[in-house]
Amino acid sequence: MSVKRLTAGILAAFTAMFGLTVGALAEGRLGLPKDKGLWLQEAANEQAVKIADFNLDLMWLITIITVFVFLLMFVTMFVYRAKANPVASKVSHNTFIEVVWTAAPILILVYIGITSLPLLYYQDVVPETKFAIRVTGNQWNWTYSYPDHGGIEYTASLVPNSAFADAAERADYEKDLSEFLGWDAKLNARLLDTDLRLVVPINTKIKIMLTASDVLHAWAVPSLGVKLDAVPGRLNETWFEIPQVGTYYGQCSELCGQDHAYMPIAVEAVSQEDFDKWVARAKVEYADAATTALGR
Amino acid sequence: MAHANPTGWKRWVFSTNHKDIGVMYLWFAFIAGMIGFGMSGLMRMELAEPGVQFLPEFLGMTEQQARHMFNVLTTGHGLIMVFFMVMPALIGGFGNYFVPLMIGAPDMAFPRMNNVSFWMMPPAFILLLLSTVVEGAPGMNGFGGGWTAYPPLSGTIGHPGPSMDLAIFSLHVAGASSIMGAINYITTIFNMRAPGMTIHKMPLFAWSILITAFLLVLALPVLAGAITMLLTDRNFGTTFFDPAGGGDPILFQHLFWFFGHPEVYIMILPAFGIVSHIISTFSKKPIFGYLGMAYAMAAIGFVGFIVWAHHMYTVGLDVDTKAYFVAATMVIAVPTGVKIFSWIATMWGGSLTFPVPMMYAIAFILLFTTGGVTGVVLSNAGADIALHDTYYVVAHFHYVLSLGAVFGIFAGLYYWVGKMSGKQYPDLLSKLQFWVTFVGVNLIFFPQHFLGLNGMPRRYVDYPDAFTYWNEISTLGYKVTAVGVLLFIIVMFYTLFITKKRVGDNQWGEGANTLEWTLSSPPPFHQFNELPKIK
Amino acid sequence: MAGDVQHDYHLVNPSPWPAICSLAILIMMVGAVFAMKPDAELFGMSGFGSYMFYSGLIGLFYTAFAWWKDVIHEGETGDHTGVVQIGLRYGMILFIASEVMFFVAWFWAFFNASLYPIIPTTTNEIFDVIGQVPVWPPVGIETFDPWHLPFINTLILLLSGTTVTWAHHALIGGDREGMKKGLWATVLLGGLFTCVQAYEYSHAAFGFSGGIYGATFYMATGFHGFHVLVGTIFLAVCLGRVYKGHFKPDHHFGFEAAAWYWHFVDVVWLFLFICVYVWGG
Ligand code: HEA
Ligand code: HEA
Ligand code: CUA
Ligand SMILES: [Cu+2]
Repeated sequence: MSVKRLTAGILAAFTAMFGLTVGALAEGRLGLPKDKGLWLQEAANEQAVKIADFNLDLMWLITIITVFVFLLMFVTMFVYRAKANPVASKVSHNTFIEVVWTAAPILILVYIGITSLPLLYYQDVVPETKFAIRVTGNQWNWTYSYPDHGGIEYTASLVPNSAFADAAERADYEKDLSEFLGWDAKLNARLLDTDLRLVVPINTKIKIMLTASDVLHAWAVPSLGVKLDAVPGRLNETWFEIPQVGTYYGQCSELCGQDHAYMPIAVEAVSQEDFDKWVARAKVEYADAATTALGR
Repeated sequence: MAHANPTGWKRWVFSTNHKDIGVMYLWFAFIAGMIGFGMSGLMRMELAEPGVQFLPEFLGMTEQQARHMFNVLTTGHGLIMVFFMVMPALIGGFGNYFVPLMIGAPDMAFPRMNNVSFWMMPPAFILLLLSTVVEGAPGMNGFGGGWTAYPPLSGTIGHPGPSMDLAIFSLHVAGASSIMGAINYITTIFNMRAPGMTIHKMPLFAWSILITAFLLVLALPVLAGAITMLLTDRNFGTTFFDPAGGGDPILFQHLFWFFGHPEVYIMILPAFGIVSHIISTFSKKPIFGYLGMAYAMAAIGFVGFIVWAHHMYTVGLDVDTKAYFVAATMVIAVPTGVKIFSWIATMWGGSLTFPVPMMYAIAFILLFTTGGVTGVVLSNAGADIALHDTYYVVAHFHYVLSLGAVFGIFAGLYYWVGKMSGKQYPDLLSKLQFWVTFVGVNLIFFPQHFLGLNGMPRRYVDYPDAFTYWNEISTLGYKVTAVGVLLFIIVMFYTLFITKKRVGDNQWGEGANTLEWTLSSPPPFHQFNELPKIK
Repeated sequence: MAGDVQHDYHLVNPSPWPAICSLAILIMMVGAVFAMKPDAELFGMSGFGSYMFYSGLIGLFYTAFAWWKDVIHEGETGDHTGVVQIGLRYGMILFIASEVMFFVAWFWAFFNASLYPIIPTTTNEIFDVIGQVPVWPPVGIETFDPWHLPFINTLILLLSGTTVTWAHHALIGGDREGMKKGLWATVLLGGLFTCVQAYEYSHAAFGFSGGIYGATFYMATGFHGFHVLVGTIFLAVCLGRVYKGHFKPDHHFGFEAAAWYWHFVDVVWLFLFICVYVWGG
């Protein structure tokens, strides 16, 4: 769609104008907010792409509507200013125009609805997935467990700010993280990095089963097009599939108390072989759920 | 019927006069507004740059306390602006003062109940303020669970201390006050219109208050029920919202938003009414499509009751339910569009002048449209997945509230301050006030769309560095707005207490043809001893 | 236009009650919080809660009494003209409408819990109960037999609905003795209902706290019971007024309001009986 390309161009121009971007690292992509960003984070999978496309359509529509209203208003203000039009007309009815401005929005909305609902059903109906991961939100970290992989279970917490100020501390965290993953890993962003990451294979449909142990939380990763509330006593389900190796970041998106801003999400997408290797190691270290009590 | 008219403090405290009560509401709203504005200032200063530094330094607390304090500020700001600023100003203030004048009634239907509606507001406000100085979350003062007060965070797990209980009672009292006020308006409007003023001749502001009052009567009790259950969950061991006893945290969200969504129209409809009069006055034309305007508001009010779950797209509703709420929510854009276009059509062909109230009214239409269309984006569950609980939502609702409802308040004040006080506001300074405020608030809230799209979650005390730039701009906008608010105080102080310039009975000339302009400025203590007759 | 009032509306005299009432509410509410949390501190003080609560409550009762006394006085001395009475009717209808919405909240909670029951789970047990089917009423809850005391209570309330109508017709027909009898019967039936309800509560096999069944049950029926109490008092006040010679065949809105309120309470009970006792039991 050429409109989309046009927009992408304009947005790119904007971004360039404000100077930017976090370049993708050699190992893989990074799903991060952009510095001075004006638009959605770069979509990393089909879901996010669909959201972005739809959002773009909407943005054009609402921009046109808003600009139309603004222009109409300015023209009216200019043409009918008292100086130019000292005597006001008394017209206060015009059935035709009233029908038009009722019908036109209806048509626009019907169009929006027709494009909106398929997206909703695409996102919301969980397809056949390869395996499930259980995610539990705690004040203030996330517990991940892999019931289909021998009960691996661990809890990922924020890497403190000090690790980004202090090189030695940072190296410590990176070392631990690399040990956990089994390959070299780097910390990428303050408030987004966690000590351990959720590890998933690429090109695999994965189901997320979400709950919370204390208060509400929400598990959200913008670049994957996923956001779902974690509710105590309820099991919410969503899914995603990542086509590309990389690290995708998100943040808790439901107010959960004092450290709501400090329980990020980091998803590490790796090749199937790497994933299998990781599972083999993690099983040894993290499979005994008893040692990794929830919400440590 | 002899009628004592006490003077001094008794005139106000014992008042049964709708104009005096209206004025007290306006002052109350002003004070609450300043406090809410101050709180938003603390939030914006904290968000000016990444990291947590402003609050710890400014309030002398640890970083942990500051993180909680930020949530307390957000919560307090939201509650104060909604329940103690916008509602008292638009409904209690302008509604009280002008509905009886416009429909040709000598007072409200239940003048004494009117006074208790007002006097319950200060206790409610005091309860809310007290809640910030007692324990809320363990070891911390104040309730920091957002104005939506979702359990379990607002339950004993998140906030075991008495803070939340005080906040709950604050809402109970404010709610009771509003319900009584609403009953009073409906009765007044149904029962006390001047002879000849049929409901289809009634001014649009009275229409807007009528519909608002219905929304209040039907929506507020549900909130009262929800927070009562929260109270018993907290104090008497019930488990309405606690899964350990078979309860359901989501139930609270349904109940809250069943109230909460009508509530947002409660805040905007009176502003619609005010803007209609101003546009008509300064176009020197009757309002275009009067009946359509009235019934559009009714339609908005009605549909407003069946769209609540668009605030809950991410809680795990089933997909068909969401599809329904998408469709229902978008419907509201149609009657709202009718209003927008009818305002423009009213101006079309008119003889337009642009004094300050008109500037605010026009800005209202433009900015409300901007905020409304982002609401339509949010109403699409598919897109809301990316935007829910981000600053995009914050931008949306400040465009309709802070730049919509509040601009409606400003417009109404400039339009009617002459009528209420008999004084003329200083024109040039007021225009300056408009422009500074206009630029300031847009600077605060437009960049928040970018933050939200880029993924910045709301209710965050600290954010990843990538969000710094637009947050800086937003805080800069706040500083500009602060100048605008200062100018506003100066303008109003000058108008009320200093200027000697008086206005006539009808300050705005031929365009202003509702009944309040037939009275002196300020109107007599009791107007319409002989009821006006409408042809 | 200046000068004489030429309309029938009631311009109420300035009154101290609204402000005093609000003050009492403030005291009562702060007191209530610290009565529920006796150990909590406000400005370093604690343990004052219940004293404060009761002083506020007494203040509230006192103002309510004084306020309504004024209203009744005004009504009896001619301030309540025809148009004012119409206004009072609107007011009462709207008040009842808001009460209906209040009950909507309890019914919503009840239907949410009964139509979509969930298995009680504490932290993370949720993963262990996947596949289990929850039931209503919850496992282990022993409910009341609706056709026992609740049914008797239904009959009591329905009967009281007819006796209040009897009183009304007697009043309109100028039969003050009949009115007294009808009202006495209604008040007594109201009292009887409350006693039966209290008896039933005291023999319940489940409590208010600890489970969703008891919570929704007691919240809905309890608030209804509270409304019965208020309605009974309202009718009793009317009864007292009858003895003082108040109410005329064509001017007795105070009584009608009480009757409306009573019918509202009645209808709510029917819904409670059908939904909570019969269907949900
Ligand atoms: C005055 C208050 C007010 C008003 C009027 C509105 C109006 C609307 N709101 Fe908004 N909203 C809020 C206050 C308000 N809102 C608040 C406070 C929140 C957040 C609460 C919280 O979580 O804390 C919120 C959140 C909110 C959400 C939830 C977002 C989320 O949390 O994820 C949604 C989603 O559907 C939404 C939608 C809408 C819609 C569709 C309208 C519509 O009524 C808008 C209609 C208007 C127009 C569309 C513009 C004019 C029309 C035309 C020019 C015609 C042509 C237009 C088209 C064809 C599109 N709002
Ligand atoms: C009417 C409602 C209203 C108004 C006016 C405002 C005004 C402002 N808001 Fe508000 N805001 C909310 C309602 C409102 N807000 C709500 C409901 C929330 C959500 C809370 C939550 O998440 O729980 C919120 C949250 C919120 C946040 C997000 C916090 C977070 O997520 O962490 C931010 C951040 O910048 C913010 C900023 C501001 C600023 C800078 C202003 C203003 O300072 C802008 C300028 C304002 C003025 C110029 C008006 C001043 C008015 C007067 C002085 C009264 C005059 C009246 C008379 C004279 C009668 N607000
Ligand atoms: Cu967890 Cu916010
Ligand atoms: Cu809404």
